[in-house]
Amino acid sequence: MTSLAPRAAKRLRLSNTPRSVCTDCRRTFASSVRAQQQQQPASSQHARQDEKTTHFGFDTVAENLKASRVAAVFSSVASNYDTMNDLMSLGIHRLWKDHFVRSLNPGIRPTTSAQPQGQRILDIAGGTGDIAFRMLDHATNINRDTQTSVIVSDINPEMLGEGRKRFSTSPYQAAGRVSFMEANAEQLDQVESNSIDLYTVAFGIRNFTHKQKALEEAFRVLKPGGVFACLEFAPNLNNPVMNAVYKRWSFGAIPLIGQIVAADRDSYQYLVESIEKFPSQQEFAGMIRDAGFLLPGQRPEDEVVKAGWEDLTMGIAAIHKGVKPA
Amino acid sequence: MSLTPMALRSVLRTPTGLRPLLLQAPRALYHSYEHAQPPPYREAESAILSSAFTYVPTHGFTQEALTLGAKDAGYLDISTNLFPKGAFELVKYHLTTQRLGLKDRIQFPDGQMGVGRKVRSLVLERLRANADTGVINRWQEALALMSLAENIPASLRELSALSDEIWFLSGDISVDTSWYTKRASLSAIYAATEVYQTTDKSTDFKDTEQFLDRRLEELRVMGGAVGNTLEWVGFQGGALVNLLRSKGVRI
Amino acid sequence: MAFLLPRTTALPSLPLKARLTPLAFQLQTRTRNANSNAHRTLISSAASPATEPEPESLHTPQPTRRQPLSAAQKLYLDKALRVNQAGELAATLIYTAQTPPLTKAHPHLRPLMQHMYDQEAGHFKTFNALLAKHRIRPTAMYPLWQAAATVLGWTTGAMGREAAMACTEAVETEIGEHYNGQVRELLAWMADMERKGEEVGEELRLLVGEMRRIRDEELEHLDHAVQNDAKAANPYELLTGVIRTGCRGAIWVSEKV
Repeated sequence: MTSLAPRAAKRLRLSNTPRSVCTDCRRTFASSVRAQQQQQPASSQHARQDEKTTHFGFDTVAENLKASRVAAVFSSVASNYDTMNDLMSLGIHRLWKDHFVRSLNPGIRPTTSAQPQGQRILDIAGGTGDIAFRMLDHATNINRDTQTSVIVSDINPEMLGEGRKRFSTSPYQAAGRVSFMEANAEQLDQVESNSIDLYTVAFGIRNFTHKQKALEEAFRVLKPGGVFACLEFAPNLNNPVMNAVYKRWSFGAIPLIGQIVAADRDSYQYLVESIEKFPSQQEFAGMIRDAGFLLPGQRPEDEVVKAGWEDLTMGIAAIHKGVKPA
Repeated sequence: MSLTPMALRSVLRTPTGLRPLLLQAPRALYHSYEHAQPPPYREAESAILSSAFTYVPTHGFTQEALTLGAKDAGYLDISTNLFPKGAFELVKYHLTTQRLGLKDRIQFPDGQMGVGRKVRSLVLERLRANADTGVINRWQEALALMSLAENIPASLRELSALSDEIWFLSGDISVDTSWYTKRASLSAIYAATEVYQTTDKSTDFKDTEQFLDRRLEELRVMGGAVGNTLEWVGFQGGALVNLLRSKGVRI
Repeated sequence: MAFLLPRTTALPSLPLKARLTPLAFQLQTRTRNANSNAHRTLISSAASPATEPEPESLHTPQPTRRQPLSAAQKLYLDKALRVNQAGELAATLIYTAQTPPLTKAHPHLRPLMQHMYDQEAGHFKTFNALLAKHRIRPTAMYPLWQAAATVLGWTTGAMGREAAMACTEAVETEIGEHYNGQVRELLAWMADMERKGEEVGEELRLLVGEMRRIRDEELEHLDHAVQNDAKAANPYELLTGVIRTGCRGAIWVSEKV
């Protein structure tokens, strides 16, 4: 699927986007992820018989290829990621992110006696930096904490680039309270064990190939008493009638908006399909518990997982939390 | 979007989001004597809450007390995310531990006291616990927290659990409609007395004791009046039936 | 219209119009029932007490359990005992209300009614004690069941001996089936615990013993009712149908509320 002409110039700036050449006019257009796959020889796309497979939206791909396909998606949406979020969630994502940060309450209130050292926050898959910004604002303005710092981590350098741009003019950059790290959440070799107070991942974990591994890495890097917090879409709403309406909007309108505004239907189709494939709130809370975290609100005598998450907007998104035992 | 029977049934079923709430609802379950009840809180929660509780007389039922308690217990500031309801969890901790500790605070050796007297002693003992733990000066804050809309269900559950505990410890074995009326009336009396206690400045809470006695007396009089009326109605009905039977009506 | 009537029994040779009457329906169903279940006591699958499993731990005193009961098991016991208490309440009130008109018309039934009432009162006491001991709440519909049971007993007593006995038969059938299901469930638990090597515990063992005794006595009442011409009641199917449906509804409600 070739793009519309006016967007082509902007596309050429991003070095990693796939290309296709128009045979008539010799102009180079950026092409979508799917077209790129079709251009490459078919044999390399089929998973070998003995390789493990995972889902990429509704497609099945080899596990080692998922990360690169996700990278391609996010590279192509990076530049107008926030606009797309606004269009997809009608601006509600800002409220969700505000509530997420407020409920976590980052920052240490200074007392007269002790000199606080500040918290170390690790924001995973937070390339464009909106969560990191909110965390620092909350810590500085509400808790009067000027020491708390955030490490913004993302697997995709384009998304990190957007983040760097956003922070370049803020006082936090000057004070050295924000740093950027390109890393795969399943293998955070650059982060020491037991060194992070708060590990957050907002709208990122559904793209990971091995979610349980990422949860275990989170468990490793957090200090005892540290908190894992995840803001993510849920696959189904609580109310079945509203769920049907929501699914029509997701699968009908969102890829269409992606096509019209960003000329990239397939990336947004992937985003919507990946939400559908994500485990339910109860299953995901079970995975968090299996990684060793304590779920807030779970009673000692409960055998099944009944708590540990908070639904937002009738269950479109959910905040999951886990605390590492001391 | 067709509403098949399956969809209709799922519409009528409890939404997934509410299920955790409802699953918490039936707390009164079969009580086994072969086992101790499971602890109300997990280790981490109980450690943080118990050390936070020591800060309540100075800092009140606030997030600050929770944070200080978390730090004392060897956790981090951020660990208070273990308590989604914040300061209310500290209030609930006090309510739960005092309710479960009631049977250890007071025992009734042999059958001297009647059930009513035992109920009175248990209520007074529970109120005294508020004072002993140093919480009574901050209790009005706690009552305000308990009356917030999102906390009302949990507060009412604790109140009814306390009422059930008091009746059980006083040896009440009735399991008819009076099970409900007794617990409802005791919950109301206890709540009223506790609110009164927060304003009581007398020595040893003597005024609270008298308040409680007046409420119990009202309850006794009211209960007696209702019981007598029902008995009278019963006698009238029975007399009518017997009269008709004596006239030959076959009923 | 003969093809509409199921051909399981030999139809009496009635004229067409008469075949559509209630009497024809009654004759047909009674012959069908008489042919299919000769001494029908219970309908639930594999339900006869004779075919029940008998775990060894039922008759030997047990050491204390090490493993607490699961939440699902406690919930089951909670609901089961609540429903049983409601059932015994209804039974005692039915007998209390039936006895005066019945014994007035048929004095020879007095000892039987007294015997059945005494047994029901004993059951009621047992369940009251169990509920108080295990801190189970009684059903909130208690006053409603009191009124309904009194009215039921009174009307069937006034309708006559057969109707009263049919009412007893219907109630005891439902209750017997219900207790049978519970006993089966608890015995299954015990068999499961034995298989896993867990101790059953005295509480559960004594509970199952009590429930079996009570179930057997209820079935005995059912037999007494049938012996006393319960099936001869005139609107038999209607009466028993309504009462059995009412009982099932009451059981379902008492479990929840």
